Amino acid sequence: MKILDANVAPLTNFEVLDFLRSKGASKDPSRVIAKVAMSEYKVYDYLVNTSANVQTREDIAEYLSGIKLHDLSEAEILNIVNIRPAAVVEIYPIIEECPDRFPDEEVTEIVELVEKTLPTVTINETAVENTEGDEETDTQAHENGNVSQEKTEGEEPMDTS
Amino acid sequence: MFYLSKIEHKLTLPPYLLTLPIREAILSELERLFLDKVIAKLGLCISVYDIISIKGGSVFPGDGAPTYLAVFNLIMFRPFTGEIITAKLIRSDANGLRLSLGFFDDIYIPKHHMPDPSHYVSTTSTSKTGTWYWDYGEESFAIGDSEEIKFAVQSVSYPPIPVEQPKDSKPFAPMVVNGSLNQDGLGPIAWW
Repeated sequence: MKILDANVAPLTNFEVLDFLRSKGASKDPSRVIAKVAMSEYKVYDYLVNTSANVQTREDIAEYLSGIKLHDLSEAEILNIVNIRPAAVVEIYPIIEECPDRFPDEEVTEIVELVEKTLPTVTINETAVENTEGDEETDTQAHENGNVSQEKTEGEEPMDTS
Repeated sequence: MFYLSKIEHKLTLPPYLLTLPIREAILSELERLFLDKVIAKLGLCISVYDIISIKGGSVFPGDGAPTYLAVFNLIMFRPFTGEIITAKLIRSDANGLRLSLGFFDDIYIPKHHMPDPSHYVSTTSTSKTGTWYWDYGEESFAIGDSEEIKFAVQSVSYPPIPVEQPKDSKPFAPMVVNGSLNQDGLGPIAWW
């Protein structure tokens, strides 16, 4: 086995989720039909509970064009897309030496850009408490938990069935 | 968290796969070989992204399986230092915390990377597990069981395969991620 290129490209959580979905992964409890392996399903289960679940390519493109104005490294931009910080305090661990590189106003600007371009997911308390036990019961719990999504301008809610 | 890596590999196709179209057969064999396995320095293989080229197909004497040289892209899970990841707590003991991502369980927060200051209380006098508390000002915040916790990746290491292991030790972990909670905004997401 030869490694030709260890690092062709970094992928956002959304791209991996999109890839798994195109292979046929879904929240459907009967999972024998799709050509997706069990280990891939575990990744799918993890990603479906992050904000990558409700992002679209257009959102990320919009965010990327907006974030160019600020001087952030590629790793930090990627981190922000994956985590979707909702408050200034969540940005601090992501950006190295935040108080030195960016004045407070710029950090709030970044948070506002994130709020504007990347959609958010709100999960009820019950769904979070149900996640105990093994993977099989986990998927059922996610089906039963309430996942509601907020609409951003002109975006249609995705099908969570 | 995820990277695309281009790999070239020489593989033999077992005869029972020869009824499938060649692409599917190679895909199925690649998945059997690489999926859910750790490759040193590259990380954990999540999925075969696509196949770029397939060459060969010659059969060596004495062998029933044709040999192919395939070039393909793999999606690898490889967190970088400084990355922030949300994971679930599965075990909390005197040495620190252990977190899980569902598909990857070997994430450890050693006790010197806990938020400073914090202290540990064991659940009973004899048990090996307990709860960690963060002392902030006057109050102590607990890190509860099965909570979603945000941590910063400190290091990713690939310990070499041991030759022998004592009987009761943990199963060998080919990839270990060490994390830290010692920053603003990290820890259980309920805190922030």
